[in-house]
Amino acid sequence: MKRHRLRLMLRDASIGAAFASMAVSGQIAIWAVGLFLLALVLALLGRRPFARSPRLTALLLVPLGGALYLSVAAGQMDLVVAACSFAAFVAGQRMLSLPGPGTDGQVLLAGLLMIAGGAALSGELLFAVFLVGFAVLASLALGMTVVEAAVPEGEQLPVRAVVRPLAMGLVFAVAGAVAFFIFFPRLNWNMGARRASPGLGTATSGFSDTVRLGGTGTLKSNPRVVLRARLSPDPGNEHLGAYWVGRTYDTFDGQEWTTIGNPSGRRGTRVTLRPGAESLVHQRIELLPAYGSRTLIALETPARLGNAVAHTPAGSRRTSLQELGGDELRFMVQALGYTYEVYSVPPGTNTVPGKLQPLERDQLLALPDALDPRVEQLARRVAGNEKEPLAAANKLVSFLQREYAYTLELGGEMEDPVANFLFERREGHCEHFATALTLMLRSLGFQARLATGFFGGERVADEYIVRAGDAHAWTHVLVPGTGFVTVDATPPAFRTSQSQPWLESLVTLYEAIEARWRTSVVDYTFRDQLNFVRGMVRPPKQRGAEEQRTRLPPARAWAMALVVGAVVYAAWSFLSRRGARTPVHQATRFVDAVERQLARAGIRPLEGETLEDVSARLAREAHPLAPTLAPLTRRYLEARFGQRPLLSGESARLLQELERGLAAWKSSQPPIARAS
Amino acid sequence: MNSPARASVSPLPSPAVARDTVERVASHLSRAVQGKDAEVRLAVTCVVAGGHLLLEDVPGVGKTTLVEAIARAFALSSARIQFTADLMPADILGAQVFHAQSATFTFRQGPLFRQLVLADELNRAPPRTQSALLEAMAQGQVSLDGATWHLPRPFTVVATQNPVDFSGTYPLPDSQLDRFLMRLSLGHPAPEVEARLLTTREASTPVETMEAVSSPEELSALRTLVAAQRMDDAVAEYVVRLAQATRSHGDIERGASTRAVLALGMAARAHALWEARDFVTPGDVRAVLGPSLAHRLLLRSANPGAYSRDEAIHLLEEISRKVPAPR
Repeated sequence: MKRHRLRLMLRDASIGAAFASMAVSGQIAIWAVGLFLLALVLALLGRRPFARSPRLTALLLVPLGGALYLSVAAGQMDLVVAACSFAAFVAGQRMLSLPGPGTDGQVLLAGLLMIAGGAALSGELLFAVFLVGFAVLASLALGMTVVEAAVPEGEQLPVRAVVRPLAMGLVFAVAGAVAFFIFFPRLNWNMGARRASPGLGTATSGFSDTVRLGGTGTLKSNPRVVLRARLSPDPGNEHLGAYWVGRTYDTFDGQEWTTIGNPSGRRGTRVTLRPGAESLVHQRIELLPAYGSRTLIALETPARLGNAVAHTPAGSRRTSLQELGGDELRFMVQALGYTYEVYSVPPGTNTVPGKLQPLERDQLLALPDALDPRVEQLARRVAGNEKEPLAAANKLVSFLQREYAYTLELGGEMEDPVANFLFERREGHCEHFATALTLMLRSLGFQARLATGFFGGERVADEYIVRAGDAHAWTHVLVPGTGFVTVDATPPAFRTSQSQPWLESLVTLYEAIEARWRTSVVDYTFRDQLNFVRGMVRPPKQRGAEEQRTRLPPARAWAMALVVGAVVYAAWSFLSRRGARTPVHQATRFVDAVERQLARAGIRPLEGETLEDVSARLAREAHPLAPTLAPLTRRYLEARFGQRPLLSGESARLLQELERGLAAWKSSQPPIARAS
Repeated sequence: MNSPARASVSPLPSPAVARDTVERVASHLSRAVQGKDAEVRLAVTCVVAGGHLLLEDVPGVGKTTLVEAIARAFALSSARIQFTADLMPADILGAQVFHAQSATFTFRQGPLFRQLVLADELNRAPPRTQSALLEAMAQGQVSLDGATWHLPRPFTVVATQNPVDFSGTYPLPDSQLDRFLMRLSLGHPAPEVEARLLTTREASTPVETMEAVSSPEELSALRTLVAAQRMDDAVAEYVVRLAQATRSHGDIERGASTRAVLALGMAARAHALWEARDFVTPGDVRAVLGPSLAHRLLLRSANPGAYSRDEAIHLLEEISRKVPAPR
């Protein structure tokens, strides 16, 4: 008994470490912590009050599970937390039961579940410490179990000789695991997603908080998906080619765009930027971890935004939005991803921005102090005497698109990047084009501002995705009576992501699979089930595209048929091979039928008796049925072991004879004997 | 010496004829050893299977009578060798004898050169003599001084030993016990049988009055028939599974050997004759399981003598209940 003690203490301590790895998240309910600690202390003291009736006390888990369910239903507890707590209760109950191999396995399994829960809840440094603790203690306990099983009953367990090398090995294993974790390249897409968030810094393209011209190196076009949107009404085309605006800028200091505009600082779960129009475009947008910023994105021009949910490692919760200058909206909390809903005014609608503050209005014409005078000269030469802002903008746009080249190479730090772009380098990326257009418009006296966000939208399943490389900058020109109108100086071919097509298609494929997984597994709700059932009941809607199909089935159908055929063939050959291995002998079926008949008549074989034995026994007892049964038994034996198979119909005839014999025997039995 | 060709000449009997023969012999023997029908049938099975028989019993229950009756029923030449502590191998095998006139050695056959040899109280002889007998049993021939003499066919040894009185004995090693196809014990007859013996025995001694109901040729033919009995794969597998069950049983130190498996198969083949079959059923295997295997198992409890025998038979019955027969 004593030798169990150390092993069980190790085991229970490892479970304690597993629980602690969860508890460091601070999300486990206090009563759950208390209950588990009570169980742990009792177990460590060697008290096992549940040892006598482990199954009955397992019923205690039912009310605990019910309490957890109620907490979840009441919204007080996250489902993950509840599952983790339940694993802790299971572990506690098993710890207090009698130790045995099965119990040990269940306890350690619950410990593993708790570790997984800890990873889901916090995944912080303390978690890692407790994870290592659990691994070491549980390994020691398992090692002791093995040794204990090998040492005969009553002999001294060589604890020290076993634990010391085991502990050394564990130290090496843990050190190796840490080294592996630090040095091995991360293969997982989502590992460290927040650190590698694109668009920050000059080395990648994506959405950033400031727009700064200059910098060195090459813009890498990042194919990672940052945004998923479901539009209604659904435009249905493969490439949306739309502007997804994040924010606008009004002040340029010669190097960098900032916003002077008055931040209202309003907060709320729902924000209305401007009055709606008759036909609003509804978007349900999901920002993925790769996005890496807190600014909301919406199709130009957003009118109402709200219903924001932040997805944090600890679960999803509602978040409110904050209005900042430059029409920017931010989520109040930092999270991995967000979902929200937007109503946007479709392009071409009147979007008068309302009453602009004087400061804001002035800022729309402000030029940097050290602006090269050649900029204005160039603008006047191109636009001529155009008085209409939109016409002037269009002239400038076509000039810029015609005369300037697009490049992802950065020009390097310089004093006046705009002049450098316009007069020396004559090539640049979207921010150069947009900045030059904005400044030229302003120099002509037209109010304009810079807008940043994304351009594009690829269709995946029934959603649109936007990549980090789709980040874009363009110009808003204020047209009196209409509002801000979008003009884009960047050549159209270079507005969207510039990454390798094959890489993009690969990412798109992954996205499609992931989206399918999400819609059909993760987000599969009661509503989806209802829709599925409805689809089964009602005929599907006729689509126009289906009418113009060829007479031959599509290639997909051929491939499917091929796959199905292969599967059927494999299954058939597998089954036939299995069938050949254990054939049910014809005589065996016959003897089964005979024994069923006998059993119905009340003649049952004793333990291990075959029909042969039953027949011999009846013959010894001079049973009236023995003469009926003997030839039948002999025929069975011949068919089964003597290679004289039953003829066709013979088995039925023999069974009929038996039936008659049994009936005759029953009718001849006196009633008392039959009852006994 | 006796050419075995003689036996193979006689045509093989049909299963029904074979059944009649063994039934006739058994009923004949039952008159000599009364009230022991099951044991008599097993003894006949053993002889027909071509195996040697070990009778383990207290003295005076009819062992010798049974053997003599078998010899008479099959009209076999027989000899009885009383094994004693001073019995030498030459006493049973025979010896080279010098003829002064011709100045040559000639072989004088020992009592072993009979078709049925009764080795009475085998365990009283020294191991050397025992092993000489057992080698002759296994080989069917005697080798002396570089020359080989065949024993007469059909050749059968029936040995007896007393399981209670072990003083001054050399218990047979397990390897030698393995050479006997079956071990039987007759046991005391039922009281009414004993009473009948008292009243009828005085009038006549049945063994002496018995005449042959079969012949050595017929016995040889039966043995050939038995060897040709068909054993289905399922039954063979069943035999092996039974043997494996003895090997993995917790109370059995050493289970059935491969020779034991073969012996069990042979005995089962012979047992099929009783039902006039030319194939073996699982029932045949179970019927001979105890007599064929019990003496080959080494039990963990290792009680000597009769207790061990009973326990082994008990374990084998349990195994035959637990191991599912082919259906």
